[in-house]
Amino acid sequence: MPLLEIRGLTVRFGGLTAVAGLDFSVEPGALVALIGPNGAGKTTAFNVITGIYAPSSGSVRFDRKEIGGVSPHRICAHGIARTFQNIRLFRSLTALENVRAAVAAAQRSGLRDVVRGPGWSQREQALEERALELLTRLGLERVADTKADALPYGEQRRLEIARALATQPRLLLLDEPAAGMNPSEKEALRGLVARLREEFGVSIVLIDHDVAFVMNLCDRISVLDHGEKIAEGPPEVVRRDPQVIEAYLGNNGESA
Amino acid sequence: MLDFQQLMQILPQQLVFGVTLGMIYGLIALGYTMVYGVLKLINFAHGDVYMVGAMTGFYVAHALGFAGHPSMVGLLVTLVCSMAVCALLGALIERVAYRPLRGAGRLAPLITAIGVSLFLENTGQVLFGADPKFFPPLLESREFGRVGALSISNIQAVVLATTLLLMAGLEFVVMRTRFGRAMRAVSFDAPAAALMGVPVDRVILGTFVLGSALAAAAGILVGLSNPKIDPLMGIMPGIKAFVAAVLGGIGHIPGAMVGGLVLGIVETLVSGYLSSTYRDAIAFVVLIAILLYRPTGLFGSAQTEKV
Amino acid sequence: MRRPWIGLVLAAALLVLLDAGLPHVLNPYYLTILTRIGVAVLAAVSLQLINGFTGQFSIGHAGFMAVGAYVSAALSVYLGAGWLVALGAVLPVPLARALYFPVPLVAGGLAAALAGLGVGIPALRLRGDYLAIATLGFGEIIRIAILNVDAVGGARGFSLTSAAQPAADLRYDGLGAIYAVVALSVLVIARLVYSTGGLAFRAVREDETAAESVGVATTRVKVEAFVVSSFFAGVAGALFAHSEGYVHTNSFAFLRSFEIVVFVVLGGLGSISGAILAATVLTAAPEVLRGLGEWRMILYSLLLIVTMILRPQGLMGQRELGPLRWLATRPRQRHAAA
Repeated sequence: MPLLEIRGLTVRFGGLTAVAGLDFSVEPGALVALIGPNGAGKTTAFNVITGIYAPSSGSVRFDRKEIGGVSPHRICAHGIARTFQNIRLFRSLTALENVRAAVAAAQRSGLRDVVRGPGWSQREQALEERALELLTRLGLERVADTKADALPYGEQRRLEIARALATQPRLLLLDEPAAGMNPSEKEALRGLVARLREEFGVSIVLIDHDVAFVMNLCDRISVLDHGEKIAEGPPEVVRRDPQVIEAYLGNNGESA
Repeated sequence: MLDFQQLMQILPQQLVFGVTLGMIYGLIALGYTMVYGVLKLINFAHGDVYMVGAMTGFYVAHALGFAGHPSMVGLLVTLVCSMAVCALLGALIERVAYRPLRGAGRLAPLITAIGVSLFLENTGQVLFGADPKFFPPLLESREFGRVGALSISNIQAVVLATTLLLMAGLEFVVMRTRFGRAMRAVSFDAPAAALMGVPVDRVILGTFVLGSALAAAAGILVGLSNPKIDPLMGIMPGIKAFVAAVLGGIGHIPGAMVGGLVLGIVETLVSGYLSSTYRDAIAFVVLIAILLYRPTGLFGSAQTEKV
Repeated sequence: MRRPWIGLVLAAALLVLLDAGLPHVLNPYYLTILTRIGVAVLAAVSLQLINGFTGQFSIGHAGFMAVGAYVSAALSVYLGAGWLVALGAVLPVPLARALYFPVPLVAGGLAAALAGLGVGIPALRLRGDYLAIATLGFGEIIRIAILNVDAVGGARGFSLTSAAQPAADLRYDGLGAIYAVVALSVLVIARLVYSTGGLAFRAVREDETAAESVGVATTRVKVEAFVVSSFFAGVAGALFAHSEGYVHTNSFAFLRSFEIVVFVVLGGLGSISGAILAATVLTAAPEVLRGLGEWRMILYSLLLIVTMILRPQGLMGQRELGPLRWLATRPRQRHAAA
């Protein structure tokens, strides 16, 4: 039984069809990649899965529940978390505050925070503890009190992942986590992604436009082009697929 | 209570009043909307520039002796002088109060705008006195034309003609000149325009000059049709014109004019048919009704954010 | 904080002393100004919740103050005067008054909160400057609507004297009690925003899309900010009405709203201390400058412009001072310090 199951997903913006009849599924514990040239519809698919856009047609099921058109914070509560292509941190908050904001977002109660009855302080500390632990596991404990926008790029990427993990997701969507990284940073990121799956027991879908990056990392690759899935399968198979090579020609030809 | 027939009889006359008022709101709204376009700033001092326009007109007309001798020439000279003074004032305000805050976020310049507004109002009270003045009759009021029962005064005709001319002039500047093209470029994407070599600061300055001159014209036209002027006269029309600009979709130049017209007509009809105490509220009721239906005004493009 | 009850008892004792002693020490002029500062502080801190912490842009706060002021005043005049007289017959008068006056404050707050809910839900579909102008519009509509209600005096203004109970003194200008209300309200707002759950407000301010993606119900948070903020604006209005003994809609025109926005931005968006500081300084300034005669408001406006240019981030930026700073620290560090 797949954790996430997309059937015939189509997304239209006015006359433009960004995603056309996409079928896509993620098994529990899987690490899969969604690749394709710019404008292929990868991010749009993410935006539908996380509720930012509603599907024009088709179904999106998570854990057997239909989530198409559900609001993003509810989808998060179901257990899907994400990062963004153009890092979207809470910029003037500290790294720790970024994660703390996510730790208890779904179960906040203003009244409890105002009255601050017995146990309140312990609970606050426990939440902070959890946030700190996440920062530590992503190697960010040193910068816990640094404002997010003062962090170097690589740390901002990791902080965004920490923040996503703070919602205790079962499915983690990473939108081009390797963008703007040099080869050694990419290598470190690959290690991190593999570790996340192991340590957090979370299924991961990651977007990239580069087959090489996901090659030795993912169990399975789906290739999108012009909103349609043109290939799917294990990395070695997909990389030799003539349609995939075609889609990448003149764009990223040699790396595909 | 008026019966239906009477209602219909005074309707055209009310519409003429409404259009005249709306044109004036529109002229002020243009300044709001242009400045908003290039700077994303709500220039709260704009209504007070309009007040300075009317006051300048008052003093110019007296100093040059047009006050006692109504004539078209006198009106024209007064109009031009007042527009020039306000254009300078606008440039000064931009230079002193807004330019130092470029890149400091959007709220800091809003507060200096409120500061400038208070400054103009209070300086006005010291310089001009707090009591209302009577704008000299630069034109002798008489009937300009008549269509059936509908009468249009020469002042209304002048207001309409001047506004239309100024709008046409603005349209020409914005659409046909280098400056206008630069202004549109800055409105569209200021950082990109800067990269393309558009002198953004000069364009912003120019926008203030244009907008302030139009506000001055509105001040003179109001002085003609409604001669009581005072240092606080800019507050309410300023807010109304801002409403008009938002109504039309802020940043959208023809939208500001349409917004002004809608507002002027609705206001006149409400105070004519219902009650003048609700006049000031109705502007906002219309505004909110339209915003709920179209969250970015009549002509504003939907703000979409790329995720 | 560690022994809250002792603190409360001490505070109450201090209040009684203050209210008994102050009128003998300070002349009524200073008392009035101090009261107005208290009202301004509460208005500013409550708006800070919307504009500074939640990042929404409301410029119609005076409308909610007006609702609080008029509802509480009407309650006192038409019902409260009777209650006050009845209470006074069985209890010592100061006690009767102390028991009664929280009632109009809460009623004013609740009425304003309701208005905030009514305004907030439709208005929050709008963004940025469109939201701003809509709040301004709602504020003006509220004011003009009140202006047309004859039961609260309409354009004549509304005096807090009851025709049925002329003996009832509906003014309440005890400075200690007023400041206690202000302090309590500020504490509530500070506790609300400076907690793990309260980070949701700032998350919405920083990035709504990201906030949603981590499970923050952004619309709910925004409505919450509007309702809580309006509640305290209503309380501020009620305090104003009962301390002045007379209200007029002119006190709640959009210029008043602008003034509150100035407090918040000049103080520093996202700083409660900043809002308190700016509201205090800017309410006192025109009085301090009174010697300058007609030039004082010119100087005031220049001060505003120069300060903003010198400190575009506001006086305090996002920092807090004193006890507020303590509230804003990380839970574990706070625990360690305590």
